[in-house]
Amino acid sequence: MGRGVSVLGFLAGRYLLGLGRRTHVAAVSAISFGAMALGAAALVLTLALLEGFQATIRAQLAEAGVHAELRPRAGRVLPGGDWIAQLRARHPELEVRASSGGAVWCLGGDGAVPAELEAVDTMSRVEVNRVLAARLGIGAGSELTIASPKLVLTPLGPMPMRRRVVVDAVSPMRPDDDRAVVLVPTRIGAALLDLGAPRTVALRAKDPAQAWRVASVVQAEIPKGVEVVSFAELNRPLLAALTLERVMIGFGVALVMAVAALNLLCNLALLAAEKRADVALLTAIGLPASRVRRLFILLGLGVGALGGVLGTLLGGAGAWILDRTHALPLPRGVFIVSHVPFRVTPGAVALVLGVSIAAALLASLAPARAASRRDVLEGLRYE
Amino acid sequence: MSDELVIARGVRKGYGAGERRVEVLRGLDLAVERGEMLAVVGPSGVGKSTLLHLIGLLDRPDAGELLVFGSDTSRLSVEERARWRNRRIGFVFQFHALLPEFTLEENVAMPLLIAGEPRRTALAAAAELIASVGLDHRRGHFPDELSGGEQQRGAVARALVASPELLLADEPTGNLDAANAEILFGAFEELHLSRGLTSVIVTHNEALASRCGRTLRLSGADVEVACSRT
Repeated sequence: MGRGVSVLGFLAGRYLLGLGRRTHVAAVSAISFGAMALGAAALVLTLALLEGFQATIRAQLAEAGVHAELRPRAGRVLPGGDWIAQLRARHPELEVRASSGGAVWCLGGDGAVPAELEAVDTMSRVEVNRVLAARLGIGAGSELTIASPKLVLTPLGPMPMRRRVVVDAVSPMRPDDDRAVVLVPTRIGAALLDLGAPRTVALRAKDPAQAWRVASVVQAEIPKGVEVVSFAELNRPLLAALTLERVMIGFGVALVMAVAALNLLCNLALLAAEKRADVALLTAIGLPASRVRRLFILLGLGVGALGGVLGTLLGGAGAWILDRTHALPLPRGVFIVSHVPFRVTPGAVALVLGVSIAAALLASLAPARAASRRDVLEGLRYE
Repeated sequence: MSDELVIARGVRKGYGAGERRVEVLRGLDLAVERGEMLAVVGPSGVGKSTLLHLIGLLDRPDAGELLVFGSDTSRLSVEERARWRNRRIGFVFQFHALLPEFTLEENVAMPLLIAGEPRRTALAAAAELIASVGLDHRRGHFPDELSGGEQQRGAVARALVASPELLLADEPTGNLDAANAEILFGAFEELHLSRGLTSVIVTHNEALASRCGRTLRLSGADVEVACSRT
């Protein structure tokens, strides 16, 4: 095998380099090489762009959202006891928030909007999320009136119970969450609503990078009747959409590779026709048909795989430079990032190299088969 | 071991099918002895090259028996035929003497490289053969830098680099002027003798054919073979 490859490598290398002034073969090969390199570079850049945006979105999800949620199983309520306190004590790396609540109206500078009140046992201040802040035109330091469905008797008759609070902070939110939420300490919540037992327990790792592990960390420690909803499950629709986006756009751009592979196929067929006399001579002096086939596959792989490697390097370098130099700025306030982010992952590099090699191999098979089956005597007579 | 390197018995070969079929060889009987230099002459289309291709294991007879090196060629696998062409048979063709992308030295070394010899060994053997055909000063040249005669001498060197027992040449002087044809044929004669080869040379050149040990004349007649010892 090694010896066979060495003479085939010698032949293929010389044909591709175009020594002996047969530069048109080398020129045709260079065109195929360039096409494969361009296709690979386009695919790497696209995957890097998608990964850059999606990594930003995932990071924001982890930064702003809940990393796991403990809910009662269907038809039950969260059990009593001190298991929540024990969970908190055993996992100082986690923020454990038991919350309950209900629907309220929030009145601010721009009017009134329906919102969800969440009374959180660990909170000592009032927060609103960005949706509520935007709808009411309020921010940290603003006054907010929360009106509950509970009625109180006033000289003017029954009126909704109200509580005026000062907003301490505007909390971040998940990108796909459009609910208006006000978070208050339990004592405020209890004054406005009949809270009862906690409805959910939200878990957050203090290090957002650990968001994906939180569910598995606490899984074995929760009482019966409670289910753990992981970070991935909480964000399933968005994460599925991101995956679908990556697959579809990656597939679309991979069609560039398919076009490049078709170009390679045409050029190899041309090369096989151009070299029919040479192949006949090589066969006559002892090169078996099986090795003629391997020679043309090697030529295809030489062009395709090397083009793929070069394109991957160029695409990767381009993505790195664009990301580091913030060369593509985005309007502030419209996007969550200030520039177009690029992120090249080892998986994307492996994928592009694999696609390049597979495309080159597939493109080489038909010309290689044709070259190995061509009539030797006809080739020798060909002048 | 038999003294007959090639034996043909009732060998038939034709091309095409139906009404357009042309029978080229019709029951050829032939024996080529070890060490013999046989010239094959005859008008175009009578099957000189076809005979050479059959002996050289590049084609198969339609009928009859053809033994080369004592073996029935119909029983050889594709791989064995390729191996024998590489190691035991040397070819010189009228066209495409050399591969254009390779230097003369690389062209001559090609059969050894195909056989799996290390590059250094193959190139050393090639250099020796190139010197023996008087082209030592042209070793590193590409074919388009060589004259037609030099290219054919290079082809002879390539045919012999793997030390074959049988040398087959298909009109090797067909594209050469008289002077170059003479130089090339001189090289043939010298290498044939010095290497103890068995040679079969197809040619239209009666003068050169007459210098071979025996001449096989092919014609279009039913009884095609006329052998004469010169």
